[in-house]
Amino acid sequence: MLSLQHISKYYQVGGNKNYVINDISLNVDEGEFVSIMGPSGSGKSTLLNIIGMLDEPTNGYHYFVDQPVHQLKEKQRSALYKQYIGFVFQAYHLIDELTVAENIETPLIYQDVKGSERKAMVADMLDRFQIVGKKDLFPAQLSGGQQQLVGIARALIAKPKLILADEPTGNLNSKQGEEIMELFRKLNKEDGVTIIQVTHSEKNAEYGSRIINLLDGKIESIKNL
Amino acid sequence: MLKNHFKIALRNLWKHKAFSFINVTGLSIGITACFFIFMYVAFELSYDRFNTKADRIYRLVTDIKTPSETINTDATSWAFGPNIKPEFPEVEAFVRVQRSGYLIRKDNIKFQEENAMLADSNFFKVFDFKLVKGDINTALIKPASIIFSETTAKKYFGDADPMGKTVLMSGDGVPAIVTGVMKDMPGNSQIHADLLISMTSLTQKFRPDIDNQWGNYGANTYLLLKPGTNPKQLEAKFVPFIEKRNGKQARESKMFATLLLEPLKDVYLHSTRGGQEVGSISNVYIFSIVAVFILLIACINFINLTTARSVERAKEVGIRKVVGAAKGELAAQFIGESVVLCIIAFFITLALSSLLLPVFNQLAGKVVSPGVFSNPLNVLELFLLSVIIGLLAGIYPALVLSSFRPVMVLKGRFSSGTKGNFLRKSLVVAQFSISIALIIGTIVVYDQMSFMQNQDLGFSKEQTLVLDTDNDPGQEAFKQSIKDLPGVKAVTLSSSVPGGGYNGAYSEIENSKGDLQVANLSLYFVDFDYIKNYGLKIVAGRPFSRDFMNTDTAQAMIINEQAAKLFGYAKPEQAIGRRFKQWGREGKIIGVMKDFHYRSLQEKIDPLTMRVEMKAFNKVSIKLSTANLQTNLAQIESKWKQYIPTKPYSYFFLDEFFDRQYRSEQRFGKLFFNFALLAIAISCLGLLGLASYSTYQRTREIGIRKVLGASTSGIVNMLSIDFLKLVLISFVIATPVAWYFMHKWLLDFAYRIQIQWWVFAAAGVLAMVVALTTISFQAIKAALTNPVKSLRSE
Repeated sequence: MLSLQHISKYYQVGGNKNYVINDISLNVDEGEFVSIMGPSGSGKSTLLNIIGMLDEPTNGYHYFVDQPVHQLKEKQRSALYKQYIGFVFQAYHLIDELTVAENIETPLIYQDVKGSERKAMVADMLDRFQIVGKKDLFPAQLSGGQQQLVGIARALIAKPKLILADEPTGNLNSKQGEEIMELFRKLNKEDGVTIIQVTHSEKNAEYGSRIINLLDGKIESIKNL
Repeated sequence: MLKNHFKIALRNLWKHKAFSFINVTGLSIGITACFFIFMYVAFELSYDRFNTKADRIYRLVTDIKTPSETINTDATSWAFGPNIKPEFPEVEAFVRVQRSGYLIRKDNIKFQEENAMLADSNFFKVFDFKLVKGDINTALIKPASIIFSETTAKKYFGDADPMGKTVLMSGDGVPAIVTGVMKDMPGNSQIHADLLISMTSLTQKFRPDIDNQWGNYGANTYLLLKPGTNPKQLEAKFVPFIEKRNGKQARESKMFATLLLEPLKDVYLHSTRGGQEVGSISNVYIFSIVAVFILLIACINFINLTTARSVERAKEVGIRKVVGAAKGELAAQFIGESVVLCIIAFFITLALSSLLLPVFNQLAGKVVSPGVFSNPLNVLELFLLSVIIGLLAGIYPALVLSSFRPVMVLKGRFSSGTKGNFLRKSLVVAQFSISIALIIGTIVVYDQMSFMQNQDLGFSKEQTLVLDTDNDPGQEAFKQSIKDLPGVKAVTLSSSVPGGGYNGAYSEIENSKGDLQVANLSLYFVDFDYIKNYGLKIVAGRPFSRDFMNTDTAQAMIINEQAAKLFGYAKPEQAIGRRFKQWGREGKIIGVMKDFHYRSLQEKIDPLTMRVEMKAFNKVSIKLSTANLQTNLAQIESKWKQYIPTKPYSYFFLDEFFDRQYRSEQRFGKLFFNFALLAIAISCLGLLGLASYSTYQRTREIGIRKVLGASTSGIVNMLSIDFLKLVLISFVIATPVAWYFMHKWLLDFAYRIQIQWWVFAAAGVLAMVVALTTISFQAIKAALTNPVKSLRSE
């Protein structure tokens, strides 16, 4: 599904190169559930952002569904991730001014899906996550777990092949966290959605099929479960 | 997508009420001001364009060269029109008009019609004035035909049909037949009359020889040229024509006329020769610039507030980008929001301008527009203007907001930074520069106004009542009868009063070389008391005196210092005893008077002559004591009814009458003041918004400083000083620019103030105080907040 080859990212500080990602190569196949771990500052989130094409590496090769991302223009990249990738954030990042249903609907708007079709898809998603009763509430009226549920619903609405989750349970209590992880596992197993998550929690990491440990911008170890 | 954007826009506006309020208010005020100026400018530019043949109509004007001066006048001789027409095939028609006051009587109803006009018979065929009743082809053919405007007809006839009725004209009561009723002439017509009298009344009845008087410049002439005629070529052909027809006479009288053509469309705004109504193209420019400035200030507010708020919107941008929004779509969304805001402002403007239009019309001194909705095109234009402003003001913030990198934003690494600060500060400087320049402009305009009103004019204008006797035979008896009334200090008769009309007389006066020199001179006919009563000073010779009754009434002239200078006398005494010839009289100069401002201060004092001519008086000037004004007026009125019963009793006070000449400047000043006020108000609104956001952004810093021991006043100072620096920079920018433009504006006045340093100081201090008040409100609020609160919220 995606392939990173000798990816590096550094910042020039004075005469020194300050590496955030240092020559990482990584392949992820369709249907995998990968957990990325590592201490703060090890480059987990940056790696995830590079995979999600939100950030650009300084050098290296990046292929996504057989497309050379490193050669694409911003517009083409954005068209690519719009089609294939859904994002889930630690801080949920819902739009405060939109209701639950409208938040979930947003990605479809940018993919030019027709209004009636959008309605049906949103209704489907609300149903699946059992939040129909909350569809007209605003994010501020929901608990953290519920907000993250909406965040995931939004990530899934456009039927992405890949979900990138940056500490999705970081702001949740353990029970809510567990529910979210169960949801991820189910999506991975039943719907075949590829998932890459960044996490601090050993326990959550073990939901995945492969754990990648980063340290100082390099892959320290890879553990297959 | 649109619906989604619209929804977000409205919810955002609602959520940030203060922000929306400031933005909408600023924009509404700005658009309203612009809309008014737009209507005003459109009105000024529309003068005379309602005439369908306006492209082919030209005003014939004359440059008259005498040995003493060149006179650029809008007047033409009576002979030009009728003699040009048969000779030049390219002239399709000519119309002569002459404006004058007429006394009109019908039974007991009488009015002195100051706005009457003699007009040639094809008046309605050349111009597009409409007849409601009567035939445009014949209505002005017969002598003593009269056409009333609808409003004027009502005064005499009420609802009755005036057609074919007889009214009496002028003091002698010449009967005239009503041959038509015309629609009231439109406000944007430079030619304006309440009633028309057939020109044949003059050319066939009263002065049958006048059509061939080449040297009598009493008429305005308009020519309708055939399509395709080049006016420049026609002007060139006038030169041999005048030489052929009038050359001999011109050499005798030493007055040489050059005929020129002014396009009708340019007469009102561009002609420097005067006319019935005179506009000013520079005022049109000035107000247009002011409109653009006000709009700019309103847009800057919007841009500043929106970009200042960008931190708050950044998260939304990041999320939208991550879920697939392209930059263009986001930019469109933000521009859409600003357009929505402007459309809200549009509706407020609509309400506001409907409400304020009567006030504006009054301020402008004319009906610029009868109603906002009277012209649907206006409303459409206003709507388009609002949308365009929305687009313009929205573009920059949209580009800034939509170019946020989502990674930065979502990771919380995004801060307001100093990047946008420079731009915001520059924009604030631009706003305040404009505001300060407008304040300086306002002060200068008012200073000049008060200078003109308080300047010593060289004559006394206080407590002087002027009555128009229209040369009534009873005026001398009237004068005698009121002379001894207790409230009356002095009475004098004359043909002219300062600030009013005067004769322009073909004169020959002996110059310092001993030759009779030809000049066109202003001429007042006055009685023996005039010089004394008006407080005029004689610098050489003597005033008119009853002791020399016989010579002074026919052979004596007093000139002013300018006239003495014109004829080459270094000292006024040298002019005494010199010969003069003027309007059929010959005699000697008996005195020289000190120059006084007999015209407004916009104009230089020109040479002036005075003679006693008992038959030529038509004005009574009465000097009153201040006490019992109403009683005095009543007494004078009863005497008037006794001695001059045929004339309506109407009076004016000379000081008001004189100041009336500054009406257009006063209007200009008032309009300017109001728009400057608006500009400052909008700027302050923006500053208020910006200050509140900047303190909001610095909440944490303020908290930390307070914990470390900063005092409230220290923090207020810290917050205020940043903005005051900006005002200071604005002051430095505005001062020279304002000086330059106001200096140019003042050049239009022959007598003007020097712009003093205190004007700038006052404007600077005013701006500073206003800005400080605006900012300190926010700063004090921030400084008083409990630091624990602000730090916890971080």
